[in-house]
Amino acid sequence: MFQEIRANRDKYTAWVFAVTVALLLLSTFAALAVGPARVTPGKVLDYIFTGRSTGDPVSVVFWTIRLPRIILALMVGAALALAGACLQGLLLNPLADPYVTGVSSGAALGATVAIFIKLPDIPWLTVFAMAGGLLTLFAVYGIATRHGKMNIYRLLLAGVTLSYLFFAIQAILLIKSGNDVHRVIYWLLGSFSGRGWNEVKIALVILPLLAVPFFFSDELDILLQGEERALELGVEVEHVKRVLFVVAALLTAVSVSVSGIIGFVGLVVPHLARLVLGPGHRRMLMLSILFGSIVMVLSDLVARTAFAPSEIPVGVVTVFFGAPFFLFLLRRRPG
Amino acid sequence: MALIRLEGASFSYDAVPALKDVSLDVEKGDFLCMVGPNGSGKSTLLKLMDGMLVPDEGSILLGGRPASQYRRRDLARKLAIVPQSYALDFDFTAREVVEMGRYCHRGEAGARSVAGILDRLGVVELADRPFNELSGGERQMFVLAQALAQEPEALLLDEPASHLDVSHQLSIFDLLVRLNAEGMTVVCVLHDLNLALLYFKEAAMLYEGKLFAAGAIEEVLSPDSLASVYGVEAQVHKHAGRAYLTFSPRRRPARKLKVHLICGGGTGAALMRRLVDLGYFVSVGVVNAMDTDEVTARELGLPLVAEAPFTTITEDAYRENIELAGSADVAVLTAVPIGSGNLKNVNAVRELADGGMPVLAIAGIEGRDFTEEASGLLAGVPKLGLVSSDDEAVGALEEIWESSSC
Repeated sequence: MFQEIRANRDKYTAWVFAVTVALLLLSTFAALAVGPARVTPGKVLDYIFTGRSTGDPVSVVFWTIRLPRIILALMVGAALALAGACLQGLLLNPLADPYVTGVSSGAALGATVAIFIKLPDIPWLTVFAMAGGLLTLFAVYGIATRHGKMNIYRLLLAGVTLSYLFFAIQAILLIKSGNDVHRVIYWLLGSFSGRGWNEVKIALVILPLLAVPFFFSDELDILLQGEERALELGVEVEHVKRVLFVVAALLTAVSVSVSGIIGFVGLVVPHLARLVLGPGHRRMLMLSILFGSIVMVLSDLVARTAFAPSEIPVGVVTVFFGAPFFLFLLRRRPG
Repeated sequence: MALIRLEGASFSYDAVPALKDVSLDVEKGDFLCMVGPNGSGKSTLLKLMDGMLVPDEGSILLGGRPASQYRRRDLARKLAIVPQSYALDFDFTAREVVEMGRYCHRGEAGARSVAGILDRLGVVELADRPFNELSGGERQMFVLAQALAQEPEALLLDEPASHLDVSHQLSIFDLLVRLNAEGMTVVCVLHDLNLALLYFKEAAMLYEGKLFAAGAIEEVLSPDSLASVYGVEAQVHKHAGRAYLTFSPRRRPARKLKVHLICGGGTGAALMRRLVDLGYFVSVGVVNAMDTDEVTARELGLPLVAEAPFTTITEDAYRENIELAGSADVAVLTAVPIGSGNLKNVNAVRELADGGMPVLAIAGIEGRDFTEEASGLLAGVPKLGLVSSDDEAVGALEEIWESSSC
């Protein structure tokens, strides 16, 4: 089916987007309705349009817990998918995901430090994670750039090496900290549990960043032919790499700092988008954002409800569904 | 003002010099090919022209401005590169690939569509197929189309046809000729020297990073320069108004055996070439001028005695032949038909044999004797070695050489 659509993508693009947007609305709606406090579909719209009423406890739950959590999931899903899509294009590497930059490991180390020195979660966990992510971004950027040129291989290797280093430091901290191991691991696996409007406010940074790669969709297409060919065709390759790497790393840092390390979305979703509408970035980036949001909201829904009343980390859910799906794709794709 | 001007340009890859002090002007409308052995700096030169590399010394000027000062987009509108091969692991259609060439004209009003280019190259029907499902030749047409979509002033091609079959090769070069006629400047790196001779009038030859020669292609590709640059022995042939080259395999150590070939009418040309390739010193006589054997001997640069075309061998030529053959160790009479015009060549065989020189002859003279004299003459030759073919003649000569060298 996908092959048929991809082969005639000019014809089907509008349909694909219409169906995807419908799916997004439907999943969001479902996520808003389902939960420990059940909200009927009619009530969902009611709550949204009338605003929070302190008299109704379900409305309070809806406004203070469920709605911000779902908004956050939508944004983080979009951010991780887009970051993955950009990096796969930039690095010409189908295995790239937001975490190859090392930014997530930096953020994880930051969060571990915050837990280790027993700072209160709010806001310090997020602040430390963000700081760790950004410092790593600067480090990787600095290591990969020489004479004004960013070397993609050095970038990948620096990211992976720093990840190992951070992991080692983190391991020492975990051993030293004793009882907090559980909290750290829970954070590392990624979750939207307990996140509220504060995290949403931080994550609002994601929205303008989501727009940036669309200004470079032609350049990203051309870069799939390799950096040298892109230069020959007139692309200022260094500029494009610099901007998109920073944007992808920022998207990752923000996502990780508000929700931990949620795996697989950034790897699989761009592949899925490419599978449906081909490699052209104008469509592929947009579709990645939409798919990323859908996948994240549904994964969070599963994370909240599968073993209710206890929650499982959403990162576990994404891997659980993502890994078999990805393997299935690998088997089906020729070459 | 030259479109591309190299002034004393030098470039090294990590201290390994690739180009040394190259100066070259490419004018608008030029149709230039660049030749030279592997590693002589041809591709480096293209990359310098395109600003991909910056010279360590000297300068590259495009329309009077250093290439490195151009924005990539402006450079892409001036020069387009056609690479040797081109890989794309993604599922774009051929048309999308060509459209990427329009990038440097993005946002311009009245931008031309790629349709005209596709039509020009005769690949419209293929345009909506996935690029990766096309054959190598078809793909290269689209890579060329991508470069043309840049609407450049000059095309720089790096071995554009080396992976292609002869039909696609010719269609690419035919197209380049037509584009050039419309004013497109073309600079093409080529390994195939005969393809170069077929299509180009101007050439530049690089050798060890230096400009070895530049100018009219037949002068640039002279046997002398090919010998010093490629270290091979080449012969230039002219046939029906075209020049082409053939190459001798690398010589084995010299046999130091001198062979005199008595031939004519093309019966000696193949043996001549084989013996030269094997390292024998070969001399030839008497042959008529313009005869295939005479032409071949001249191309190979062999000492020879020639008679005017279609003329009976004169006494002077006969004596000259005996003298030339006198310094040889062995004489060979090929399967040349004998008539009254060249009967003297059989006399020569007789005289040489009587003087004690070993003589080989291809057997079966009765069948090609039109004088009723030659067969008898030859039958009286003492110790005549009869062989049935060129192969046997070569085998016999190898034996003689081995026994004499021991």
